[in-house]
Amino acid sequence: MKDRIEILASGFGGQGVVRLGQIVGTAAVNQGFRVTMLKSHGTEQRGGYVRTQVVLSKEEIDSPLVEDPDFFCSFSSAAYKQFGHMMKDGVVLYDPAMVEIDESKPFRQIAVPAKDMAIEKLGRPIYANIIMLGALSAAACEILDKENMLATMLSIIPKFKDENRNAFEIGYGMVTS
Amino acid sequence: MLAGCNAFAGYPITPATEIAEAMSVNLPRIGGYYMQAEDECAAMHLAIGASLGGMKAMTATSGPGFILYADPYGWAIGCEIPLVVLNSQRVGPVSGITGAPGQGEFYNVRYPTQGGNYETIVLAPNSAQEAMLMTVEAFYLSERFRTPVTILADQLITDGFEDISVPETDEEKKAMGMRFMERKAHPGPEFYPPTDEIDIPPVVLGVGTKALCSDWTPTEEGYDIETVEAQHKHSYRMIYKIRNHKDIISRHETLFLDDEPDIIVVAYGSASRTVKTAVKKAREKGQKIGMIRPISVWPFPDELFQYKAKYLSVELDYDGQMVREVQRAAPGDSEIHFFGKCGELPTVAELHETFDKLLSGEQLSRIGWEREAW
Amino acid sequence: MDKLTDKYLRKRKIPSTACSGCGLGQAHKAMVVAIDELGFDFYDIIWGTSIGCAGRQTFATWKGDNFAGTHGRVYAIARGLRLAIPVEKKLVLTVGDGDAFGIGFNHLLHAARSNAQMTVLVCDNLGYQSTGGQYGWTTPAGVKTDSSPYGMFEPNWVQTEMDILNVLKAAGATFLARHVSMDGRPLVESCKKALQNNGFSLVHCVFPCITNFGKNALGSRNTVNMFNWIKNRAAPLGEEKEDTLWRTGIYHDAINTRPEFSQLMRDKVSEIQRRYQDEGSH
Ligand code: SF4
Repeated sequence: MKDRIEILASGFGGQGVVRLGQIVGTAAVNQGFRVTMLKSHGTEQRGGYVRTQVVLSKEEIDSPLVEDPDFFCSFSSAAYKQFGHMMKDGVVLYDPAMVEIDESKPFRQIAVPAKDMAIEKLGRPIYANIIMLGALSAAACEILDKENMLATMLSIIPKFKDENRNAFEIGYGMVTS
Repeated sequence: MLAGCNAFAGYPITPATEIAEAMSVNLPRIGGYYMQAEDECAAMHLAIGASLGGMKAMTATSGPGFILYADPYGWAIGCEIPLVVLNSQRVGPVSGITGAPGQGEFYNVRYPTQGGNYETIVLAPNSAQEAMLMTVEAFYLSERFRTPVTILADQLITDGFEDISVPETDEEKKAMGMRFMERKAHPGPEFYPPTDEIDIPPVVLGVGTKALCSDWTPTEEGYDIETVEAQHKHSYRMIYKIRNHKDIISRHETLFLDDEPDIIVVAYGSASRTVKTAVKKAREKGQKIGMIRPISVWPFPDELFQYKAKYLSVELDYDGQMVREVQRAAPGDSEIHFFGKCGELPTVAELHETFDKLLSGEQLSRIGWEREAW
Repeated sequence: MDKLTDKYLRKRKIPSTACSGCGLGQAHKAMVVAIDELGFDFYDIIWGTSIGCAGRQTFATWKGDNFAGTHGRVYAIARGLRLAIPVEKKLVLTVGDGDAFGIGFNHLLHAARSNAQMTVLVCDNLGYQSTGGQYGWTTPAGVKTDSSPYGMFEPNWVQTEMDILNVLKAAGATFLARHVSMDGRPLVESCKKALQNNGFSLVHCVFPCITNFGKNALGSRNTVNMFNWIKNRAAPLGEEKEDTLWRTGIYHDAINTRPEFSQLMRDKVSEIQRRYQDEGSH
């Protein structure tokens, strides 16, 4: 494993981007990682983006900035445009309902139709971020333990446990290693 | 709460609201009080009132609230009231960007009130873990020095999310370097010795000591007086009780200073986080770069700037604040440079580019800006 | 007031630092008499003061604990202090009209809202006198001051239809009275009631400022004229005449009807603490 794993999630306010970062960060702490998470917020009103940057390491983390993402969950085209250029050899997880990708990029890009699946399978779009979390969990399964991630998610979101568990599993199933 | 804080007064403001909220949850569980005030000026006065009555009090805010602390801050300095004040810097001036980090209050915390004739103690943590440690330390210093102590944080520290380890036993607290000081009450009748002495209990009201404290220049007993002589004595105390015991306050982190580095990067607070990564990586590339991170930023640690080098002050502001102190403290023939960014941390990549330029003797410039003035 | 002076006041501050002839002493004395008649000792009371004549001249006169706050903020300090000091201690604040009704009004309203125990004696010299005599929020209509050279034409806060005591009543104050400093016994009785309220009490007391108000408004520093000028414009509630400026007496008496701020905080906190300990022990 690399000595430092960087995870970036970005989209609009209300998409659960910060929540996703919190769950990933807490799950990593539970797994014994040192963790930092930054959130840029308060920009929703101005139509801007929301971003969380999570860094995991077995060592103390100095810079909490994501400059070379291993995983990038993109919830909007704006986010993709703004941060996609940072990608070198990481993985992009994107929702094709919201994001148009540049196919010419050399790194791996995985379509996670989170919003459509949330509506189709669970009846409400609000589960999209948990579907994305499941997909991220699968993509990062060599680093982050699935069962721990699921348990952490359920402890952070105590409501609608069944739906959230389903959402997580749907997302997890979308990514094959 | 580890330090015995049992009173918190605040007014909602991003990005310090989380602290108030956490205190409103946790303080009542240990018998402490959370007070929400009508404005920041009242918040700090409420905290002062609680401290004057013998409690260990704290308040937290951000820049637009900190300027409303000017009034009570001066009173607390003059009356020598122990208190902890947290200022989480965002991007200014005025409301600016609420949810992004800045460091534009470096001098504001040094001069938090009018009138001059005082020194201030300011601690600047760069992580959640250190914020916990420095808050405990701030309570300790505020009791020993009988003065408000400011924790200079920023949005990334108060709004970010990091793993921390919280000590449970006394041994663990000690191992983490935590120091504690109980509140005692001054017995009177002389409440303000005209000396630089520390470790004198503060004025506490309600315990029958016939205490006097006011906003006016005090006599040693606390009576109001308007003479130049009395004011001189009081000023001496305000300034030198801190200056003459700086060794108790000073703390810092340095990296790679032993081999006469070509560049010494200076940064505090969250800006120092990316600086540290950048400096370590530059060393791996063989560049002779060191780092100074003041943790106690006021009084400013002049003594750390002994080496002749190219100094680079990295700050989350565009106007260059700490760099002025670096310029003052560094040996006269040092080169002083400044890298400023606001609302976001400088990236490791940006810092490496800057190091490369400085090492090759190129002038620094920033996009959209005139050539830097430093 | 020799016996009283001895019992409650500091020798160092006698005679008072106020101008000779100033009416502040009458208001100050009334509060001390009320304290004495209620049988308090000097350590039962913590005395706070504000900025301005009312604060400066009464600071450090009390034999027990004294504090002088920043301008207008003493009500906020008092609320914080209230939480920390023993419940049986009383807070008495002597403050000015500018401090209470101007710069500190927001804090005063919140002190009233929370019903924090404090007996606020607003010693009203009808404007900003310690700065030389500018108009304030209680300066009578038509009066010339250094900053109302054409006569006070702004509305003030003692007019019947916009009385500041009504504002304070609506804000939650549990005892309110108005007097002039030469009222004597009725003023003492109001102070006593105020002190007996475990909550927020305010006694508004107009007193003659000889040095600045007298000179500016009446054209002379004649003490007798100034005293009569105020006395003639005051009348007990219900006996007011057309030219009455200050209707005196008790405006609102709801003493001990609402929970006191620090008591409420203490009760709530111990309830939460108990609940949390119970939960913790399961
Ligand atoms: S200026 Fe007026 S109110 Fe002030 S002390 Fe002198 S007479 Fe009294």
